[in-house]
Amino acid sequence: MSKNEIILEASHLVKEFPALRAVDDVSLSVHRGEKVFIVGPSGSGKSTFLRCLNMLENATSGEVIFHGKKVRGSSRSINSYRCKVGMVFQHFNLFPHLTIIDNITLAPVKTGLMNMAQAKKEALELLRRIGLEDKAEAYPMQLSGGQKQRVAIIRACAMHPEVLLFDEPTSALDPEMVGEVQLLMKDLANDGMTMIVVTHEIAFAADVADRMVFMDQGKILEADAPAVLMNSEKPRIREFFAKVLK
Amino acid sequence: MIKRLFLILAFLTVFPLFAKDAVRVVTSANFAPYEYYEGDKIVGIDIDIITEIFARHGKSVIVEDMKFDAVIVAIQTGKGDVAASGLTVTEDRKKEVDFSIPYVSAKQVIIVPVSSPVKGAADLKGKRIGVQSGTTGDSYVTDNIDKNPQRFDDASTAVASLLKGKLDAVVLDVEPANVHASKHKSLTILAEPLTTEEYAFAVAKGQEGLLNMLNCGLQQMIDDGTLDSIREKYDKKTQNIVQETLAESEKSGGWNDFYTNFIKFDRWNYLWEGFQVTMIVAMASVLLGVFLGFLVAVIRSTADITGKLKTADWFCRLYLTVIRGTPVVLQLMIIYFVVFGSVNVPKIVVAIIAFGINSGAYVAEIIRSGIMSIDRGQMEAGRSLGLSYSKTMTLVILPQAFKNVLPALGNEFIVLLKETSVCGFIALQDLTKGGDIIRSQTYNAFMPLIAVALIYLFLVMIFSRFLAILEKRLKKNE
Repeated sequence: MSKNEIILEASHLVKEFPALRAVDDVSLSVHRGEKVFIVGPSGSGKSTFLRCLNMLENATSGEVIFHGKKVRGSSRSINSYRCKVGMVFQHFNLFPHLTIIDNITLAPVKTGLMNMAQAKKEALELLRRIGLEDKAEAYPMQLSGGQKQRVAIIRACAMHPEVLLFDEPTSALDPEMVGEVQLLMKDLANDGMTMIVVTHEIAFAADVADRMVFMDQGKILEADAPAVLMNSEKPRIREFFAKVLK
Repeated sequence: MIKRLFLILAFLTVFPLFAKDAVRVVTSANFAPYEYYEGDKIVGIDIDIITEIFARHGKSVIVEDMKFDAVIVAIQTGKGDVAASGLTVTEDRKKEVDFSIPYVSAKQVIIVPVSSPVKGAADLKGKRIGVQSGTTGDSYVTDNIDKNPQRFDDASTAVASLLKGKLDAVVLDVEPANVHASKHKSLTILAEPLTTEEYAFAVAKGQEGLLNMLNCGLQQMIDDGTLDSIREKYDKKTQNIVQETLAESEKSGGWNDFYTNFIKFDRWNYLWEGFQVTMIVAMASVLLGVFLGFLVAVIRSTADITGKLKTADWFCRLYLTVIRGTPVVLQLMIIYFVVFGSVNVPKIVVAIIAFGINSGAYVAEIIRSGIMSIDRGQMEAGRSLGLSYSKTMTLVILPQAFKNVLPALGNEFIVLLKETSVCGFIALQDLTKGGDIIRSQTYNAFMPLIAVALIYLFLVMIFSRFLAILEKRLKKNE
């Protein structure tokens, strides 16, 4: 298992909506442990691309390849793929009718990954790690936005995923709560988690990313190390960073 | 040779009767003195005659009470063998069923307030006339006087309306008319009868063995005087009842009315037993309804969300259209008379099935709206964690949907509880029917109606309280 092994790959992905080609022939390979940050203007297809990677959107054509195997066909193989590729949403999507601890243990127990006792033990460890141990029996409604998103992240981690997808994880947060979530993400990055992040937080992306991908109008314009990409010669990219970093 | 053939034929036609334990007699027991309740038992001239006829053939009878309108249908569909319900022989009815020889000549008379300007049949034109639905009086008035008389389920209600000035005249058979007129001094029976007619028993077409048995028995009883003695017995009873009710109405007052309607002859038992039936039917059918509703709602939403299960979805939509597009009382009667027409299923089960299926359609749409109200991020979060569609549905979506629609579901149960009051249409003795029976015995509309209404109200209040507690509990995470 080399550091350079390709773990997840998108091959010529296309997603068409009735009046829109949201993702237009996008290919991308992600290596084990790599942190890929996808940036670009609103409506450029970043989120749709990420959702295609997790099969939340059915790609019109193209393939998602995980460990060299095409992900497709039966819902069972998609379910087991999703066990390995977690997702964090802009709006957290915690289950409001369950306590925090139940939110975290639900999937590991119900997919048969571990038994209840083990899941509880791991969930408490994860909660301790983010300093929310005392909220185990609370309900999502009782948490702040930042706390909710951190719980959502460790909920995804509880499945022991090989890849984590983040869909604008800090966009719905109050500014003072962005930091705590980014801190946790950085923490995960340092642990060697493979991450694909769609974000508008350019500074954070520049700090953490191994590779930054710029998308516009459903296509990848350029993908490179942050320092290189941010100094790109392409006018569309220059224009974007000029506006964002002003 | 021919004689022997006849014997075999006669045997063959009679034979099915011997195969059963008892003869099922259907009647509408609110027509004193022909058929009415005395305590728990249905008694009356018809009942005594029919019991005696079959006793002479060594057979017992089971008497079943239902709405008068349903009596003829019941023998046609095989729910009963003989109709003994003060049935007047008419040409129309002869097309539907076979009649025995008549055992009574009865008159239809006109009851009016003492001060009424109506003095004879000729004055009835243009007046508000009350009749008992489906009786000869009904068809005579309809054919000859007024195409749309006011049709009541029972004579007591018609008379009560007359007393309240909502009618100008009521047309009834002479015996029950006598009872009513003697109880209410403000009413009188016009001397000239509207029409004279004959009563007979009815059986389904082609039941010749049974018909022969009835005719032989009746002829014997006419010849040996049994018929006359039965009549005399009830004439006396009628006089007693009249005197009794007269005596009671003189000391009528709150407590005495209460005593007559509920305490005397343990009449409260009708309400208590009816209450139990209502509760059983409502509870069991709400369970069936919620089960069906969940099933249909999940199929419909799954078809909406994933595009699968198209055929099942089509059937679900058909079910919703048919059930929500027709009145529940018709569904109940269709299930009883048509679907279970030829099999013997207990009525309470029929009612549970009918109301359960009916309620399921409404519950389905309530729950589907609940499912649709859940943010689609919930489904995505569940799926992204590797949970299957069905697990996400049952563990994440449905618990939240259920909580959201609980008030609407509670409302549906309240509606259902009250809708079961049409059980009387298939002669199931529920709470409302229990009140009807008391009313038909005491000729008092006020007390039984108010009592039944109060019991429903009480039930609904208790249930609403319980629901409020449940909602509060489910809200603990907000």
